[in-house]
Amino acid sequence: MPKLIDKLIRRLPLQFRVLYRQFLLRVIDLESLSIQADIPRFLGQFAGILIMYSAIQGLGLLMGFAIDERLRLLSTIWSVEQRLISTMMLVAGLIAVASWDNIFPDRRDAMILSPLPVRPRVVLIAKVAASAAVLGLAVVSLNFASGTALALILGGIPHFLRITAAYWFTMIAASVFLYGALLTVQGVTALLPRRLFLRLSAILQIAAFGILVSAYFLEPKLNTPAALAMATNHQALEWLPDYWFFALFNQLAVGLPPTFAWLAARAWIGFGASVIGAASSLLLCYLRTMRKTVEEPDLVPASRGLHLASHLGGGLRSAIVFFGFRSLARSRQHRLALAFYLSIVLAIALSWLRSNLSAAAPRSLDANIVIASFMMTVLAVFGLRNVFSLPVSLTANWVWRITQLRSTEKYVAAARSSLIFFAVVPVWLVSAALLLDFRPRLQVAAHLGVLALIGIALVEIALVGFHKVPFACSYLPGKTNVQFIFWGSIVVLATAAVLVGRAELHALSHPAEYGWIVASLLAVFVALLSFNRYRARSAALMFEELQPEVIMTLGLTRDGVSITELSAEAPARLSTTGSERLTFTDSK
Amino acid sequence: MLELRNVSKHFAGIPAVDRVSFSARAGEVTGYLGPNGSGKTTTMKMITGLIERTSGEILFQGQSIDDDPMAYKRRMGYVPEEPYLYNHLSGLEYLTMVAQLRGLPARAAPDQIDGLLHLLSLHGDRHASISGYSKGMRQKVLIAAALLHNPELILLDEPFSGLDVASALVLRSLIQELARRGKVVVFSSHELDTVERVSTRVVILHRGKLVADDSIERLRSLMELPTLEAIFSQLAVEQDTDSMARQIADLIHA
Repeated sequence: MPKLIDKLIRRLPLQFRVLYRQFLLRVIDLESLSIQADIPRFLGQFAGILIMYSAIQGLGLLMGFAIDERLRLLSTIWSVEQRLISTMMLVAGLIAVASWDNIFPDRRDAMILSPLPVRPRVVLIAKVAASAAVLGLAVVSLNFASGTALALILGGIPHFLRITAAYWFTMIAASVFLYGALLTVQGVTALLPRRLFLRLSAILQIAAFGILVSAYFLEPKLNTPAALAMATNHQALEWLPDYWFFALFNQLAVGLPPTFAWLAARAWIGFGASVIGAASSLLLCYLRTMRKTVEEPDLVPASRGLHLASHLGGGLRSAIVFFGFRSLARSRQHRLALAFYLSIVLAIALSWLRSNLSAAAPRSLDANIVIASFMMTVLAVFGLRNVFSLPVSLTANWVWRITQLRSTEKYVAAARSSLIFFAVVPVWLVSAALLLDFRPRLQVAAHLGVLALIGIALVEIALVGFHKVPFACSYLPGKTNVQFIFWGSIVVLATAAVLVGRAELHALSHPAEYGWIVASLLAVFVALLSFNRYRARSAALMFEELQPEVIMTLGLTRDGVSITELSAEAPARLSTTGSERLTFTDSK
Repeated sequence: MLELRNVSKHFAGIPAVDRVSFSARAGEVTGYLGPNGSGKTTTMKMITGLIERTSGEILFQGQSIDDDPMAYKRRMGYVPEEPYLYNHLSGLEYLTMVAQLRGLPARAAPDQIDGLLHLLSLHGDRHASISGYSKGMRQKVLIAAALLHNPELILLDEPFSGLDVASALVLRSLIQELARRGKVVVFSSHELDTVERVSTRVVILHRGKLVADDSIERLRSLMELPTLEAIFSQLAVEQDTDSMARQIADLIHA
């Protein structure tokens, strides 16, 4: 089989194969990576997360439905179907947003490929194929187990094939719909003057990100025929594509009541419109933008600027804080990475706001509110800390080395300020605003005090071992075990949020306990701060992420003496002469 | 005075710079020459501390640069060979950041930056992102950043790269003026004519080894050659350039 695939691939034109490989590897910005970057491993780790998610979903479905017959209720099955479809659409949307602009030729492509005898259509097909490969990998990884489990539950062995086919068609159609729709938006924007496009594109990308994540977390759950048929929900259903594809799946798999046929019709129309829109905008863009990209600069002109640095004084801290702010504001990759975390924070804040609006004021603090504010702080701090690890214009970081006139401790202090300014303070202010109509005010103030302490303690945890200038150290994908960290963080975060939330809520009405909590948090903060300061004093600033060195001795000996011992004693003696021979021995 | 004593740098065991020794005195302009791959940029990076040397010693004003690297960096300005800059910052933001990193007084730095931007004809574009700057404009930003703190030691690696004629002439005079004001100036360039006009003495490197270190006049009289180009060709150019040009033309014609 691999030989057959290899043979088929070799039949493809060489130009296509070369470009396809290049574009596929550019899913990540190569210029940001460490010299030891292992991109396939990095991609594999993310595919692994999706596979693990699918396996958990699939096993959970099979075991749940086998154990409890009551779960075979229509509402439960519809909930599962809706969740699988909306998760798939979220992932497809995130891939489209993450690879924003990638499918269109950028300046580098235009400068390198335009002078070469490569037809634009080959570039276009290679780009589309590379994007399709990434999307296809995500669809397969995310659905292989859950799709099989759902088909078994819904149809058993007799209808397994029909339901499986319906499932995969729906998932592919839903993914292509969302990917294509976002591509159409990009394509239409790319037809604007390039400078306007560069400005608008960044805003649209973040907006798309926010909409996708917010919609996933906040959309209403309509899992009964009655809820779907209610006139009040009609307008919401018109704007929620995952319900269209949910109807499409049911239409293909088990048949759909005529009342909901309009939803499935929307899916078909949306799918068709999205494919036509994406194809047209791609064709138009490749005909028009390739030359425009070369002719027009990427520069967004600025005739005047708000130059804050001179107003806020000089110093290393200002330099690093402003550099961080500007990098976050202007670098597409960094904005996007941060948006991933902040959109979850936003979703939590929105759901909190929704419950605020629906409840009569004044409200009293409950565990959900306390846990929500805690989660928002954790996500903001660790999200920003992770984004700090992604470099911007790595080749320019020589300026930090040349100007390193102070100890590493000062640089870590500046990173601390950045984390507090850009993560802890905004979340704290949002929480304070959302808590305005909560009573009693004393408890609210006490909670905000604890939140501030948790925030600064989390900053210290995030800074353990962080001896870098934010955005100035190369990134080594594959160094961290993403699979382990991702699932581990979810478990730890959820457990910690619940435990801390409950403990704090109880303590808010027991002053002595509250005192203990505050004292403990202060102690943790001071201990971590001292530890970080102590370590930073003797640490060197890092500018290149390197793999930990693994030294494997061969167990070489000479005259029965280990080579390593010999080299430690007298390196000169290692120069072998004709009479001396190196022998291999079993090191065990 | 900047002094290099038997400085070597090996990459994976291969010597890029091999036991190089020379001195650059205050008030003099030292031209550092060599063909591509001769080790010029590697030497410059070792002097700045960007890369570690394999062996040897570098002294500035009689003190090893390793004794107090931070004090040494305060006194040194560097223009790298490639115009690597933070493209998402504007020229003004970049220079402000460098001033802050160098700890320049917050009150004086803006005026100094403003003055440099005016003199280098960058003031009109100071708020525009560096990503839109031409190669020459980027080079000017690097030159401004290197001189902002009035350094005692100025290291210029291909500083004329990308500059237009007028700016190159200004820089040429600036290098001589800085030397007259007692700075130690070391600059590498492929423009032999400029080096000949500007430098007090030249150091020529070939395959990582030092092949000449003297004043241009003395080299001329010792080697009985009329120009620096002729001296350089004899010391550092191995191939017959005309023959090589013919071979290339023949090869692509075949």
